[in-house]
Amino acid sequence: MEYVNPEGIREDGRRPLEMRHLHAEIGTVARADGSAVFEMGNTKVIAAVYGPREVQNRSQQLNDQALVRCEYSMPNFSTGDRMRKPKGDRRSTEISLVIRQTMEACILTHLMPRSQIDIFVQVLSADGGTRSACINAATLALADAGIPMRDLVTSCSAGYLNSTPLLDLSYFEDSAGGPDVTVGILPKLDKVTLLQMDARLPIDIFENVVQLATEGCKAVANYIHEVLLENTKQLEYRRGL
Amino acid sequence: MSVREWMVGLSAGEKHFIQGGIAQDLRADGRKRLTYRPIYVETGVIPQADGSAKVKMGATEVIASVKLDLARPNPSQPGKGKVSLFVSCSATAGPMFEGRGSEELSAELSVALQRCLLGGKSGAGAAFDPSCLSIVDGKLCWDAYIDGLVVSADGNLLDALGAAIKAALINTRVPVANVPAGASLDEDPDVDLSSQETTRIDTSGVPVIVTLTKVGRHYIVDATSEEESQMSSAVSVSINKERRICGLTKRGGAGLDPSIILDMISVASHVSEQLMNKLDSEIAAAEADEQM
Repeated sequence: MEYVNPEGIREDGRRPLEMRHLHAEIGTVARADGSAVFEMGNTKVIAAVYGPREVQNRSQQLNDQALVRCEYSMPNFSTGDRMRKPKGDRRSTEISLVIRQTMEACILTHLMPRSQIDIFVQVLSADGGTRSACINAATLALADAGIPMRDLVTSCSAGYLNSTPLLDLSYFEDSAGGPDVTVGILPKLDKVTLLQMDARLPIDIFENVVQLATEGCKAVANYIHEVLLENTKQLEYRRGL
Repeated sequence: MSVREWMVGLSAGEKHFIQGGIAQDLRADGRKRLTYRPIYVETGVIPQADGSAKVKMGATEVIASVKLDLARPNPSQPGKGKVSLFVSCSATAGPMFEGRGSEELSAELSVALQRCLLGGKSGAGAAFDPSCLSIVDGKLCWDAYIDGLVVSADGNLLDALGAAIKAALINTRVPVANVPAGASLDEDPDVDLSSQETTRIDTSGVPVIVTLTKVGRHYIVDATSEEESQMSSAVSVSINKERRICGLTKRGGAGLDPSIILDMISVASHVSEQLMNKLDSEIAAAEADEQM
């Protein structure tokens, strides 16, 4: 199967090092404390943040830091084939955990002891890279909720098909069976907080692919910065400053 | 109702203010009793679906999608496709919908919508004629899966979902399936879907749903969640273009006098006309926008 044609063009018309179109909106769920929609091509996710607030389940309360919780859900219309799955299957539990751990690493939880922050991520349409899109959406929603963070975590995936490293895999490329590396970074501190890979890859190529994904994360970070800045300007304008 | 009570948390003064406002025909957000919040429709929001739409009414936001699958028709109804409808509430709408918390409300909304739009077992009074989904009589048909998703909840979910499903059905393109002549359809059907041609579902009979919420002695349309927390009962009526009633659901604890129910239905039928016109123009605008 040919995923990159001899002219170096991928199935959806992108170059190997090209990302899909990014789009983000802040404040889409009116009732949440913070919310955002993040789109990467046809992948579209909504994130909503509630909190910091009182801990609902007292036994989970932490006396020295905030409790961060996350729920990921995917409706049955979001994928190509329709299937009925109950809420809380293995895949979504794992992604919830990944998102929670990644976000926990950047939230300054020690500033909010005995409180709880809920992050809810809802996939609307899945076309590869849902994990990355969820993390990017969650970052924006947390920023919108005004929750103190070390840095904005951003995430992007990269793969390796037809001996070419590819940035930001679509579902078609993801299901090709090649390696899929998802990286999450703290762009200002230049630290990797999330790294996942399936399938196998020689070490020297792995380095290149991770490097590529990291570059992708930085591009996402630039975009997220722009969106947040624009949003802040809007808020400033509305306050009449 | 426990979910909604928990969600809002109003003080005695606020409750009094809401009830007083409704009694004087001037609600907390400045609307009259029978005025809707501005409705915003966007179609084609989910690229993977055959038809989809997003509807916003104030802070309430819902998404509906229609997905078509090739299947074998039910032997008792050989010339019709099967239509099923499910609603789920996303946790983004509030922490109380986390995990299994949304199941009760999702089931309540699903059943109410099935009653209003699918028209019972016989299919009579349904939103659209499922025989338009048939490809080969008794052998092959499209199954339509209608899914609703509540993204943000601020009251009046049923009307919003009804509107979103209507918009999604209008947005739906049914692919033209070419069955090769002489092909045997008894095993796995071999169907040519390569043609770009599509047909539309006849949606002229899709009803709108109007929910009248009774607060005190008066009833209001398009209640916010604060107003819903003060309701004694609510009646949801689905009415089509010919002003026929396609389905009816009463919710809430308090009993209603039969004459009041009849009065509510006639008010709903009056309001439905405005809503239908407003919705039709919004959907037409959204469809025109999408094609640009």
